[in-house]
Amino acid sequence: MEAFLSNPAVQGGIGPFVAGLVVAIVLGRFSLAGLAVAAGFGVCAYLLNGLAFAPLTATRKIILVTLAAAPIGVVVDGIARSSRTIGIALAVGFGVAAIWVFWSVLSQRPPQEAAAFGTVAAIAVGATVWLNHRLADAPVRAGAAAFALGVGGGIAAVLGASATYGLYAIAIGAGAGAFLLVQMLTNRRTAAGATLTLPAAVGGALFAAGAVLLAKLAWYALVPLVLVPLVARLPAPERAPVWLQAIVLSVYAFTAATASWILAWQLGLE
Amino acid sequence: MSRLAICIVAAGLAAPVSAAPESFTIDPYHTFPYFTVNHLGYTNFIGRFDKTTGKISLDAAAKSGTVELVVETASLTTGDNDRGTRPRTRDEHLRSPDFFNVAEFPRMTFKGKTARWTGEMPGAIEGEVTLLGVTKPLNLTVESFKCGPDPRTQGKRYMCGGNAAGTIKRSDFGMKFGVGPVSDEIKLYIAIEAFRD
Repeated sequence: MEAFLSNPAVQGGIGPFVAGLVVAIVLGRFSLAGLAVAAGFGVCAYLLNGLAFAPLTATRKIILVTLAAAPIGVVVDGIARSSRTIGIALAVGFGVAAIWVFWSVLSQRPPQEAAAFGTVAAIAVGATVWLNHRLADAPVRAGAAAFALGVGGGIAAVLGASATYGLYAIAIGAGAGAFLLVQMLTNRRTAAGATLTLPAAVGGALFAAGAVLLAKLAWYALVPLVLVPLVARLPAPERAPVWLQAIVLSVYAFTAATASWILAWQLGLE
Repeated sequence: MSRLAICIVAAGLAAPVSAAPESFTIDPYHTFPYFTVNHLGYTNFIGRFDKTTGKISLDAAAKSGTVELVVETASLTTGDNDRGTRPRTRDEHLRSPDFFNVAEFPRMTFKGKTARWTGEMPGAIEGEVTLLGVTKPLNLTVESFKCGPDPRTQGKRYMCGGNAAGTIKRSDFGMKFGVGPVSDEIKLYIAIEAFRD
């Protein structure tokens, strides 16, 4: 069993997918199917990190902030999901949180370099949160964007020399994939909300930014990932079955993510 | 002389002569920590840290001493630094958060005290290693140790040097990636040379 749970395919893929599937099915009737992302990520975090959070490294901070994003998303959905002000507040808040997350790394760099990297990280996280939040009322688009952001960011992180960050991000994608699959199989849209978009955006962006700051991912490889939620807004066959919409929107979203991989690979060869 | 005075003088003569501890500075060009780790059950892989600084203090008469080492984790090498057609090298992977996380923890330290002296040679260095922000006990077995004049300087400089070995479990420090295919147990070896200040 230990060997099974130590397998990266289980840690980043199968385990999170199964957890996401169970949550999406059981909690869907309560409009909380979006917790599939947090559930999938939580399983991966437990298998990779356990319950130890001391010392509080940048990686552990990312885990905490991503997990915290789920209940924040639930609260936002309960208050005023469509509020533009709340969307901006979330973007700014999690952009600032990115500085806190990476402070132990930034504080060791020369001030100008720290300011530059910190600004890029904050903007990348804030922009990703803002753009994903705008999909909160479109569950298939939100699910496709989260799926591509997680898997896409994960593969970019692996190419950037951190397999662990890759697994964490892929787990987010696996949870989102489970959320999408339930809709595809039932041909019914399930509420996504900030419950799904927030942890997906926060976790995906933080691990991608982490791969830039702590591993060897070039910062420009982040740009296509930020564009994933924009691409997920492209026209889709609205009257088609949910499964077809999910596939079409996922293709759009993964096209943007693929650009990130190409950049990560090419820049790695330089 | 009174009996009390005789006793005091005798006690003074019987007391060990304690010379002051001597301070040494690590020679960074001849001090290297190495490690071996089992890879997939096939080979024992070797790696090395290229930059180490530190201080040693020794009092051979009192059979005591301390060792403080600071290792730059980014100086890690396993000989794989050329990407070729790969997006990353093994050494880049080892420096990432998966293993040594050098961007966040640029230094690894060891602080220890000499122990189990045999003649003028310590048998062990008992101390603590701090890696990835976690401090754990690490006892090194001293395999060789010698002090004497540096022949390169016609004896003008005095130096000490030796080799020590120990074992850690990387998961104790939170380095859990790939445990299984890459062994948890890491064997450490260190070659140290230091010059007397």
